[in-house]
Amino acid sequence: MSNVLRPYLAAVRSTLTAALTLEDFSSQVVERHNKPEVEVGASKEVLLNPLIISRNENERVLIEPSINSIRLSIKIKQADEIERILCHKFTRFMMQRAENFVVLRRKPVKVGIQPSPGVLRFIDPRVAQGYDISFLITNNHTDTMLKHKIVDFIIQFMEEVDKEISEMKLSLNARARVVAESYLTAFNV
Amino acid sequence: MAPPEVFSLSQQTPVTCHAFNADRTQVAVSLNSNEVLIYAREGNDWRVIDTLTEHDKPVTSIDWAPRSNRIVTSAQDRNAYVWQQSPDPQTGHMVWKPTLVLLRINRAATYVRWSPNEDKFAVASGARAIAICSFDPEGDWWVSRLLKKPIRSTVLSVDWHPNNVLLAAGSADMKARVFSAYIKDVDKKPAPSVWGEKLPFNTICGEYASPSGGWVHGVAFSPSGDVLAFASHDSSVTIVYPGGPAVYTIKMSILPLVTLTWTTEESVIAAGHDCQPLVFSGNQGGWELVGSLDDPQSNKSSGGARSGFAGASPVGRLNSAAFNTFRNAAERGISNVPGSPTASSSTESELFTVHQNTITSVRPYDGVPGNITRVSTSGVDGKLVVWDVSAVTPIGATGLAGKLGKMQLR
Amino acid sequence: MDVNFRKIDIDQYDEDALLDSELYEADPRDPAQALNEVKQKAAAVRSSLSKGDVVGALTLVLEDAPYGPNVEEAKNLNLQTLVSILNSTKATEIPGVVKALSTDAQDTLMKYLYKGMALPGWGDVSGSVLLGWHEKLTEIAGTGCIVRAMTDRRIV
Repeated sequence: MSNVLRPYLAAVRSTLTAALTLEDFSSQVVERHNKPEVEVGASKEVLLNPLIISRNENERVLIEPSINSIRLSIKIKQADEIERILCHKFTRFMMQRAENFVVLRRKPVKVGIQPSPGVLRFIDPRVAQGYDISFLITNNHTDTMLKHKIVDFIIQFMEEVDKEISEMKLSLNARARVVAESYLTAFNV
Repeated sequence: MAPPEVFSLSQQTPVTCHAFNADRTQVAVSLNSNEVLIYAREGNDWRVIDTLTEHDKPVTSIDWAPRSNRIVTSAQDRNAYVWQQSPDPQTGHMVWKPTLVLLRINRAATYVRWSPNEDKFAVASGARAIAICSFDPEGDWWVSRLLKKPIRSTVLSVDWHPNNVLLAAGSADMKARVFSAYIKDVDKKPAPSVWGEKLPFNTICGEYASPSGGWVHGVAFSPSGDVLAFASHDSSVTIVYPGGPAVYTIKMSILPLVTLTWTTEESVIAAGHDCQPLVFSGNQGGWELVGSLDDPQSNKSSGGARSGFAGASPVGRLNSAAFNTFRNAAERGISNVPGSPTASSSTESELFTVHQNTITSVRPYDGVPGNITRVSTSGVDGKLVVWDVSAVTPIGATGLAGKLGKMQLR
Repeated sequence: MDVNFRKIDIDQYDEDALLDSELYEADPRDPAQALNEVKQKAAAVRSSLSKGDVVGALTLVLEDAPYGPNVEEAKNLNLQTLVSILNSTKATEIPGVVKALSTDAQDTLMKYLYKGMALPGWGDVSGSVLLGWHEKLTEIAGTGCIVRAMTDRRIV
């Protein structure tokens, strides 16, 4: 593992562990409701400061904690146009199947469009955008699953997704080369 | 040093709260559902003997009055019930009969506790209020009066002062408060204490903010009632001497604690997201963290022996099965059915503590107030554990280092 | 039919709801005073650094750090001062320096590390430096320190 990646993932791991201290909390705004406060954003005192961990300008993680749920958004490294396309296809594929992923959100948070009041009050809007994929973890998840396993899963996901995209890029290039070669052999009489 | 007694009440569901009866032969628990289960002890095992079903939303708190043998339960459906045993007219068996309490709150009830004299109880709620309930013999029902001002958010826990009048409350507006819950028809005029002399209903005898803006999860009066301790979400425990006036704050390097109880006038046991009960001790001169009742180091070495009950269930294990499914699907077009997870080794995923997940409640189990010898804890991992208070493992090389070791990346 | 009434945020009329300003006690200093103090501190930090006293410089900059919404200028200057200390410390010295700080200073340092990482452009802040400090600080001050960076509304 590269030198910078390790402290980056360690920081995400420790921050996520600290944020995953959730408890059951029913809404104090709507009676008999119990919903993720980080998504509702109606009671400011149960939302905590959002934190950002960044490796560089193109790779960062946003963690928005609250009393009964947290949101974790990842900005995946995209160096060029091909990586951008691959990343988009990859995250789209998974988000369309979010129900099997349990903690995956169907859409990444887009703060620019509809700012949830309170949650992002202290974060510069320029860094609050451009996330590729978001997870929503609630107290129901930490009740039924082992917490450290959820953390492991997110970290593993972050490791794999980079690897995955660079592998796909390689195989895409290789394939393009093969196609080009076999096409050009037709003229090479 | 007696090892802790560990009972696994459920495999997957959390134990929201627990309450023992007076002689500790039965325990009422809620397994994160709208039912209250009563277990009876049979040797080293617990068997369900009764189910109390009246709530229609998850039960949040239970308390069992030791002398009058009544159970009070609160739930997210905004209601509280008082349960009393009476003989069934047909069979003659003793059955639990519910009485609905008119709480007059319109949000979830979050926490409930009998007063020391068992003639009142306090129900904390998300309606930014605490309902103090007392029995009205004329109407034959429980009536409530609300403590409202100046609570600004959900009340997360309450604790009664031994004089049956004062009540401490911790809430999500980051404050712990001491109120008077004096009710004319029930209480005699209380003797003056460090908290004040004249105490009409809803007098605020003290208001203390958590040090770094964390929600106050747990509050407790010391056995004499002269000291207040509270645990807040900024990973700190605060001890208040109102007469002092001194406030001691211990900021910890671990995850927040959510529940605490006094064992003697000079020691407190607190537990929470760190999965182990911690012991604090001190006096008016100062307070410190002295150790843990759990010994992660020894658990680690005897891991094999413990795996009998700690063989964590595979349910909910987010191993990479899901991820592999997707990768297979993405790469090779293989969509194998999820539900055939690869048999991953379940041992490596265990924590070294006895509780495998957050401890939600710690309560006195054995001894008299002021000299508690054993405490019981229940947690999200479905376990109920009875700990010997004297078996303290000093914190230092074992606990925290082992904990931090886990934080490292593989 | 006019349906605009549906868009009214009725919860804002709930008098019991907590407001932003009630979540923490505001910084008692006015912006000009805070900025002045920070400028003085920056000068003192430079002299401490030239003597090689990293702990002293850090303690100075983390003490009474300006917080809240009205003192942006002072906050940014204090961050720059802090970053200059972080950048000039060798990686091997970090654990010793962090251990020498008080708990409160450690908490404030953690807040600044997250603030640094949340900056949109990088300027003179290097991600690997911040991450290195974050790792060492977490090893010593634990996850409790991170929890306090989340709960404390007194944003630096």
